[in-house]
Amino acid sequence: MRKRPILVVLAIASTAALALVAAATSTARGTAPPASGPSGIVGKGGTVGSGGGFGEKYTSPTATLSHTLFDAKLLPANKSARQIALAAFGRSTKNVNYNLALSCWKNNGCKTGTGGKLTVAYVEGFGENIYRQMSKMEFILQALTYPQIGKILYMSAHSDLNQALADFRSVIAQKVSLIVTYPDFGDAMIPVFQQATKAGIPVATYAWGYVTGPGSNYTTVVGEDTCRLGKAFAQVMNTQVKSGNIAFLGGFPGNPLSLGWQKCEQAALNSSIKVVANQPTNWDPSKVQGIVAGILAQNPDLKGISYEDALFMSQGGYAAYKAANIPYSGVFTYRTDEAAMGCLADKLKNPNLKIYYYTAGNSQIRVALTAAMMKLKGAKIPPTIVFPIQLQQQSKRSMCIKGYPPEASPTSLIPLSLLHRMYP
Amino acid sequence: MDAASPPSPPRIRRAAGTSGRALASNALIVARFLPVWFATAALAIVAAVRAPDALGNTSWSYVLPYATILAIAALGQMLVVMQAGIDLSTPGVISFGGNLIAGIGAGSDHRLALAIPACLGLGMLVGFTNGVLVGLVRLNPLIVTLAVGQIVLAWSSKYSRESVTNHPDVPAGLSSWATGKPLGISAVFWTGLAITLVVALLLRYTTPGRRFQAVGANPRAAWIAGLRVRTHVVLAYTAAGALYAVAAVLLAGVRTSIDPALGAAYLLAPIAAVVIAGASLAGGLASATSTWVAALALTFLTQMLLIMGLSAAMQYVVFGAAILAGMVVSGDRVAGVIGRWLRPASPPPRAATGDHKS
Repeated sequence: MRKRPILVVLAIASTAALALVAAATSTARGTAPPASGPSGIVGKGGTVGSGGGFGEKYTSPTATLSHTLFDAKLLPANKSARQIALAAFGRSTKNVNYNLALSCWKNNGCKTGTGGKLTVAYVEGFGENIYRQMSKMEFILQALTYPQIGKILYMSAHSDLNQALADFRSVIAQKVSLIVTYPDFGDAMIPVFQQATKAGIPVATYAWGYVTGPGSNYTTVVGEDTCRLGKAFAQVMNTQVKSGNIAFLGGFPGNPLSLGWQKCEQAALNSSIKVVANQPTNWDPSKVQGIVAGILAQNPDLKGISYEDALFMSQGGYAAYKAANIPYSGVFTYRTDEAAMGCLADKLKNPNLKIYYYTAGNSQIRVALTAAMMKLKGAKIPPTIVFPIQLQQQSKRSMCIKGYPPEASPTSLIPLSLLHRMYP
Repeated sequence: MDAASPPSPPRIRRAAGTSGRALASNALIVARFLPVWFATAALAIVAAVRAPDALGNTSWSYVLPYATILAIAALGQMLVVMQAGIDLSTPGVISFGGNLIAGIGAGSDHRLALAIPACLGLGMLVGFTNGVLVGLVRLNPLIVTLAVGQIVLAWSSKYSRESVTNHPDVPAGLSSWATGKPLGISAVFWTGLAITLVVALLLRYTTPGRRFQAVGANPRAAWIAGLRVRTHVVLAYTAAGALYAVAAVLLAGVRTSIDPALGAAYLLAPIAAVVIAGASLAGGLASATSTWVAALALTFLTQMLLIMGLSAAMQYVVFGAAILAGMVVSGDRVAGVIGRWLRPASPPPRAATGDHKS
């Protein structure tokens, strides 16, 4: 019989490679410490708010609010919106079963074991990054504080609009009690939002997932006003840059989040500040590197960048500056506060690197869930629950919080011990 | 062709002997691969006039390493295309490979000795799997490689979540090497250049390389000639997987920090580079150096359009149009036109056609 030496060698090599990969991956994993302690952040300093209703208490520890909002005073101005926020953040301090939460997070849903009659669903168009996965865990943790909730569902459409619509219809058909979502496809989701509303299912979005018709097409949208965010960015640029060239970076072309702040920042900038580039990055770190390199090639004297994602500027953005041998300095305004950017800034110790940031706002999903739960109890929910904006300065309040994974937002209310079990 | 036919160009007619056919054959091969070189030169001229900053150091500091990484992935794709196949597992291998570098490397240069072989092993394993399924089991390469790629991506995503998210940084030794500039040019570029030359020389001047081309050009004739066709298909996919893994190592070094979707941009770009470079999708002919130039042209074009200040929508329009134009002027079409132009006026004597296609 004729031998086939090349195939035999390839087979042996591949088997060896598999063994090597398996061995290497197993040695790289650590053992996870058990989680313990209350969910969320509780510290000395009293509480904010009083009263209650619809099964909620409108109070929250000051430390919890300061942790997730930077300042306990940064609550919605509208009274009922503020009460919902207090109720949601107050709940985050309740003890929950972390093993169950972790299992629920890994398996994209679970039965809570309480025997509760309610089923809650978090349905989104895209869920494959750390930010969304952390939001999913915040949703699960918040849901576990309600004994009435017996089942938690999670679905991601993997950036497929048809799948997103199908997922939404599927949970409506399952007669879930409420739906929380981030509407990645914007107004294209209106028909299913209306369908859910017509079926008596409250729908709440977070992270300013604005779709036309809050209060009528769906229950409420939670988040910060992106136009105010743009104006806050402009204020920083006007005072710190004063004059010169800056650039805007955005996410996917035409996404409402980027358009929202960019339009308002542009309008609020001094006439002596010129926006020399406005490029979509698709929120892809590789693309960020190419785009920043291109902008720097044409504008080596660039004085600032406004963008949503601090993390990607700590990766692709920093790599572009480094490759171009241009000092990583200037004024940078970000919507998110991932630890990696703060730790990079702390490491660089460059006084000319001025970073201002807002919170990634993972915990806003808790407010969306609580708002929908209160709606089920008959509360009148405001169509928008808007948090005020106060940008933080990296040099005064570093994003780099010890122990947090580089890609995580430290303003999340997921306990650190649990976060480490999610991302060992 | 009969005597009444109009006369062909005299220089070709005069050369219409054995040496003429050799000349025509070489011209056809060159014609297939030349357009991408001219297109790249034209691109440089446009850049010099409309976007001179694209030719500056800052621009090259991005273009050269990323063009090289795309070129290495495209070389892998080229080997598969030479066997009339296609490979859509590239993003999976690059994503998982890069995550292995960060995960196994764990920020320590000492662990690179384990991380890099693991990454290469993964690439070869995925390639070998593709090769067996396509070459031996005879499944459709488009579907098989897409499916295998999806499985690898899912595995990568899980691995990234469990082992990389908390430590996404690439070991400093690799990143400082990748961002270094020996002789003022990116180290990644020199590495890619060496790999391209090795692949080109192996294919052009070694017996296994010539056999590899022969099998791709005409598997039936190669089988009749005693060559192991299926083995070469498996070999092509395995070598491609190894090259994707090399691309992953270099990309990890350049990026310095890894994310779960590290290789997402490498699904179609390597295929575009191979096709624009003039490779025949029917198998056989391909040029490693032209593939490298095509990867450079695509990366440079992206950067030039950005520097020209085009809106995102227009960048996509121009980029897509450039790929279409590249396909029109490269490969079989130009070769066909020139072939008709160079065709001898009368058929050569039967005795002179005794050589076999290899």
